[in-house]
Amino acid sequence: MAKESFDKEIQFLRLLALTGGNYDRQQFAGRLGISVHTFDKTIRRLKEVNGDADFADLFRYNYADSAEPVLLFLYRAKSMKESETRRLPVILTALKQEPMTAASLLDVCDEQLVDSAAAPPDEKTIRSDLRYLEEIGVICREPGGRPYRYRLNNDLTDCLSREELIELYEFVDIMANTQIPSVQGYLLRDNLKKALKATSSEQLEDSWQEEWREPFSYRYHYDARILDEAHLYTLLRMIREQRYISFQYYTPSRKRSYTAQNTNPLFSRASEPRRQHMLPLRVVYDHQYGRWYLLGTTRGGRIVKFRMDGIVDIIAEEEADKLLFDEYVSRLDERTRYSWLVDTSRTVTVRARFFKPLPPQNDFIQERVRMQGQWGCITEEDQYSFIYEIQVNGYTEIRPWLRSFGSSCEVLEPAPLRESLIEEWKELMNDYESV
Amino acid sequence: MNLFEKIFSYQLASRLEETATYTLTSQERAWLKMMLEQPAAASALEETTLHKIADCLLEEEIPHLQNALVEKAGAADGQTYSPLLRPLRRIMRRRQSMMIQRLNKHGQLIAPQYGVPWKLEFSMARREWYLLWYNLRTRAAMTTRLVHIQSLEEQSLPEEQYEPICQRMQEICTVERQEAVIQLLPIYNMELTRILHAFSCFDKRVEFAEDEQTYYIHLNFAANESEYMLNRLRFLGKRVRVIQGDYLKHRMRETSMKALARYGIKVQG
Repeated sequence: MAKESFDKEIQFLRLLALTGGNYDRQQFAGRLGISVHTFDKTIRRLKEVNGDADFADLFRYNYADSAEPVLLFLYRAKSMKESETRRLPVILTALKQEPMTAASLLDVCDEQLVDSAAAPPDEKTIRSDLRYLEEIGVICREPGGRPYRYRLNNDLTDCLSREELIELYEFVDIMANTQIPSVQGYLLRDNLKKALKATSSEQLEDSWQEEWREPFSYRYHYDARILDEAHLYTLLRMIREQRYISFQYYTPSRKRSYTAQNTNPLFSRASEPRRQHMLPLRVVYDHQYGRWYLLGTTRGGRIVKFRMDGIVDIIAEEEADKLLFDEYVSRLDERTRYSWLVDTSRTVTVRARFFKPLPPQNDFIQERVRMQGQWGCITEEDQYSFIYEIQVNGYTEIRPWLRSFGSSCEVLEPAPLRESLIEEWKELMNDYESV
Repeated sequence: MNLFEKIFSYQLASRLEETATYTLTSQERAWLKMMLEQPAAASALEETTLHKIADCLLEEEIPHLQNALVEKAGAADGQTYSPLLRPLRRIMRRRQSMMIQRLNKHGQLIAPQYGVPWKLEFSMARREWYLLWYNLRTRAAMTTRLVHIQSLEEQSLPEEQYEPICQRMQEICTVERQEAVIQLLPIYNMELTRILHAFSCFDKRVEFAEDEQTYYIHLNFAANESEYMLNRLRFLGKRVRVIQGDYLKHRMRETSMKALARYGIKVQG
């Protein structure tokens, strides 16, 4: 898939996932910065990949009942040559039966692809296929010298009993759904499912139960989070290589999230946002919103932050000086130590009183504060309330969390935060006055 | 590491499925190796299984994410696994019943109960596991936090009883759904994605009224989710306003009055 087409698809899917797919074509295209024609083309392509499912339906699913992320199909969208989609399955299926050399695989291909429209593959093609499959770890070489014999490397599933395979499947299901990163976990989950299906045909009495496919339900998931993993490994590699990068950045608050690249260079300036240059240092995942951030510095050493969902077209630039890199990293870590999320402004102390629910109700307020309150501490407690205290960079990021407790939370300090919350509750009350 | 390998493509996968062939890549194994380092692995899998798996993963390199990848605003202990999941799943796969001893919601230990486990559910918001089960004596649907379960024991259940119980649970748990419409105040339009993120786990559709330059979010949710919906509304504060949904409106008004009272501001109810 062309790089550009991929960037477009990722933005498109995010918009779809977030809005439930209810904009009209014009509105959608406008927000993506593409023409209605291109929009239709993208839809057609994605539908092909996804087997014609209706997009609006796709996102109006019953989320509590499914552990299968809808957006995973983005990672399955890579297009291949027709000859390749016929040849690789022949090779892999043959290697599943027994170890084989490149020469004998060539014979198998000749035999099985005889009625295919394309010319039969030559040995060079087979060797390059084998090299690719070995590189990604799908096949491995048998011990012994030339000519090398290859086999399918499914040791992981082959060595387990059916019961063990089921338990591994369930473990992977949980970890893919609750940990980050998760895309490889979801892919593995899919393959384990196939492995389980394959074993059930051998043991008829204990057939694969469809109901086992979804052993657990997950509520209140952030679907769009797996889209950003697309950039994750590129960025982590750049951090490891201590390399500057540049990219196009679409501030999420802008209306457009993508702009078609103009083939005529005369026009390209106006529509594209300015490229950003930076030295990436840390990737931050925010559980509060299910969002990813990229933190780093400019060439001058100023800390910069970007939302990963606004980053398009990353290009590796020159390496940074190692000493400087280390210095920047430790400075960034120091500056973000007290960030509720990524705020690096001045550290303030926030104190809030939380009110306990009336007995015999369980003190779920305190449970929630202890669980979500990050490094803050509970400093005082009596039978009606407790005081929570935290040092945090600015109070903008912690504010929504405090407000989510409603009347169970009274902010004591700092005064401006207290005042602004009072004002906000007044506004809210006026909004709902007529109720 | 490339997440867009052609081996993952649908075109290839569908051809492979015809011959019941599947493939496993190094990156999937490396991911698994990373997950096996978590304490959850020891309770999720038998020691012998862990050894077998580890032998297959010897050559894989764990991606080094620890330093560069930072998680914020997650749960304190990051505990997303419970040792009870495995025994419960075993009972469920065998379609059996259980004797369960648990604490009630006030934290008091109650006498053992006889029931059928039906569903295991994880709430991403509370980072906690729940068991949905059928109480065989009272014939009621129960929801129990896994942390409240003290002990479990498998009991045999006549085969023909299992299906009807599951159907009954399905009926009880198919609760009425509610609709609400939320308006994003136009001055906060630039925060649209943040706001949509906050509602992203709900079934919704977004409508944009060009003439008023206003976004309306139509939400559809189960009645037992209204508490979490309220939490999201309070979380977003004055950026959004409920314009349809009497219960939510009423609760938001009540909350704002009570919150103001905490700050010593009396409001006429």
